[in-house]
Amino acid sequence: MISLHKKFDFKNFITENSALVALILLFIVSIVLQGTTFLSFRNIINILRNNSIIGIVALGMTLIIIIGGIDLSVGSQLALTGLIAISVINVTQNIVLGILACVAAGIVLGIITGGFVAKFRIPAFIVTLGTLTIYRSVAQYWFSGGGLMISGKVSDSFISISNTNLFGTIPLPIVFWLILSVLVALFMSKTPTGRYIYAVGSNEKATKLSGINADRVKIITFAIAGLLVALAAIVEAARLGSINSASSGTSYEMDAIAAVVIGGTSMSGGRGKIVGTVFGTLTIGIINNMMNLLGVPPFLVGAVKGFIIIAAVLLQKRLDRKEMS
Amino acid sequence: MSKYIVQMKAIEKSFNVSKVLHGVDFSLKEGSIHALLGENGTGKTTLMNILGGVLPANSGEIYIDGEKTAIAKPNDATEKGIAFIHQELTLINDLNVYENLFLGTELKTGILLNQKDMAVRSREILDKMEVDLDPHTMVRDLNASYKQIVEIARALLKNARVIIMDEPTASLTDVEIEHIFTLMRGLKKKGVSFVFISHKLNEVIKICDEYTIMRDGRVVADGNLTEDITENDLAKHMVGKELSYDDLFKTRNLGDVILETKGLSRDKEFSDINLTVRRGEIVGVTGLLGDGRSEVLGTVYGCNTDYKGDIFIEGEHVRMHSTPKAKKLGISYVPRSRKENGIVKDLSVAENMSLSILSRLKTAGLISKSKQFDSNDRYVKNLNIKVSDIDGLITSLSGGNQQKVILAKALGSEPKLVILDNPTQGVDIGAKLEIYSIIMNLAAQGVSFVVLSSEAQEILRLCDRIYVMYHGKMKKMFNRDEATEEKIMVVATGGTIDRERADRA
Repeated sequence: MISLHKKFDFKNFITENSALVALILLFIVSIVLQGTTFLSFRNIINILRNNSIIGIVALGMTLIIIIGGIDLSVGSQLALTGLIAISVINVTQNIVLGILACVAAGIVLGIITGGFVAKFRIPAFIVTLGTLTIYRSVAQYWFSGGGLMISGKVSDSFISISNTNLFGTIPLPIVFWLILSVLVALFMSKTPTGRYIYAVGSNEKATKLSGINADRVKIITFAIAGLLVALAAIVEAARLGSINSASSGTSYEMDAIAAVVIGGTSMSGGRGKIVGTVFGTLTIGIINNMMNLLGVPPFLVGAVKGFIIIAAVLLQKRLDRKEMS
Repeated sequence: MSKYIVQMKAIEKSFNVSKVLHGVDFSLKEGSIHALLGENGTGKTTLMNILGGVLPANSGEIYIDGEKTAIAKPNDATEKGIAFIHQELTLINDLNVYENLFLGTELKTGILLNQKDMAVRSREILDKMEVDLDPHTMVRDLNASYKQIVEIARALLKNARVIIMDEPTASLTDVEIEHIFTLMRGLKKKGVSFVFISHKLNEVIKICDEYTIMRDGRVVADGNLTEDITENDLAKHMVGKELSYDDLFKTRNLGDVILETKGLSRDKEFSDINLTVRRGEIVGVTGLLGDGRSEVLGTVYGCNTDYKGDIFIEGEHVRMHSTPKAKKLGISYVPRSRKENGIVKDLSVAENMSLSILSRLKTAGLISKSKQFDSNDRYVKNLNIKVSDIDGLITSLSGGNQQKVILAKALGSEPKLVILDNPTQGVDIGAKLEIYSIIMNLAAQGVSFVVLSSEAQEILRLCDRIYVMYHGKMKKMFNRDEATEEKIMVVATGGTIDRERADRA
């Protein structure tokens, strides 16, 4: 009566994976423009490493956007939790303790946002617009607007977290990004909570009436996103050996949201894939890299990037519409 | 007697390879209300979309006033005086009545809107319809029947002579339906013709002059709707076999009380509701729209935390503060308004069906595809759900099949008590009877049901006992053998049935 197996449909594959198609197009354009330099192993590794932190933040952002929210405060969260990690390590000289404190702080910040969104029914946009300035301000007040460097005898081992190469070639941040992407993708497609996130984002009322605690699902979503931001903060802190209360993480929310949107996740919630976000992050990474290689003046980079983001989403919409008719 | 305003001849239409209309003839007389009947997916809407210029026909001819006409786009149809009022109304709540009427065809003086003229013209149209409605009223403040009336007024404003109405009464109460019918009869006398698409055969009998019945893309019966034609005659043509509700109801042995409410009240919605449901019993709650029955049972399901009074489940006093709690206690809920409250549109059929039982389909914390498949397959078979691709979006199914998926979701948690709010909304007669017998069979196995419906017939066919509500109060309880449609109507509209006086008379 019903079959488990479906025939492979090429047209369907293209529309469902428009983010990948856009990425491949961009890849080809890059090869044509800057063939040897772009394709060099060092350059590719560079792109991946430079975008692994945004990539991790974008994973959590995907969950939040799928459930119908948005998080503008990820940059401030990253600065604050990163500072917590370094402070704890500097004082205790215990890296594990620092990481645990950082992760716990990330989860708490997520629960705070999720709590306001779920229990007091304030739009996530508003809540995180508030927390964006609160967290940044707290961080700056704490360190008088300056930064904090890792110090003591554990500094080198902490810094090695982000500055070690697996098999001598692949920087660890890329590995972290990859592993977390697979885990989050599995979580979204294979666990009940993952499916509830899609359901709440698509139709909260119907989900509630199916006997599911939609408020709890929302809070869990923000908590997971907070956890991911904290992990990104550790990678960032370890990479540079310091976090700056004023500048660390600024405008990360923009790149993360752009990656999610380019990846095909619907801003109105209910639809989206983790793999799309990974492709979206890579797309932004390649754009940045290409403009660097082509020598686009730094002040023009933003304009080109913005244009390409809109163009990418426009392309997806067209593909979607063709699918419907 | 009267001449034909629309004649469609030998209309054929295919989507890709599947042929949906096989040479359909359809004729509409001037000043007539013509019922277009058939189960879901028989081509009624396709046929009307061709008349309305929404879809092109593959072959066939259309005559308007006896003249051969080509209708290629919706504007052509509008020009010919054909208006299509869709099931989902297209009014904008934040505009007032005349702004809605003139939306897209605003009257202007220079570059500014000529609000005065628009209001005056609107008033003229409404007066012609004999409707007492101020054109300055905001549409959001109108009840469902007035919204429907504004849609009709908009059609008339564009000089429509043929108005196609797709399930216009689906979301209306009996009083509101009567209101629309009066209006339709008035317009009919002025020469306006209607095509009335509906699943509610009792209304068709009441209002329509002629009928055309379609099955599988063909016209199987048509003619004048004379006195001697009954609902059953129409239904028989629609499904192609005799349908009978006579054998539906089975007497069962009822068990202990499973649900009891005492003095249940909530703010302005309802007060002092006492209700009992026994194991294996089917209890009906009916009344007019706004009687509070959905709110009462929503509260029982844990949707509202701020209620007063007591709820007992299997004799135990419980605070119903959340829907997960209700689910845990063995209650499940099929809400009204399937689109808003029932389906999750971005999820597949399979994912919708298994949404409430995911925790039981896990292997090592992950959802097991094979467990989900087995569980769903059982319901697809038991409820006879017609689905070609269970991993396709739920929105790809017809309304009746979507409703069955929602029912499957509710039954999946193997509940003791199922609350069904308007369970056969937008469901055709064949599927309706199927849903009724599913309910009856489960009740025989000891599952209890509360059926909320404003269709008295539905309640009378299914229920052991019937509660009638009026303005948030429980007015009367009837046992199955003493209830009639008339008695229910009297109580539902605020009247009382005085037994003493009846006895004396």
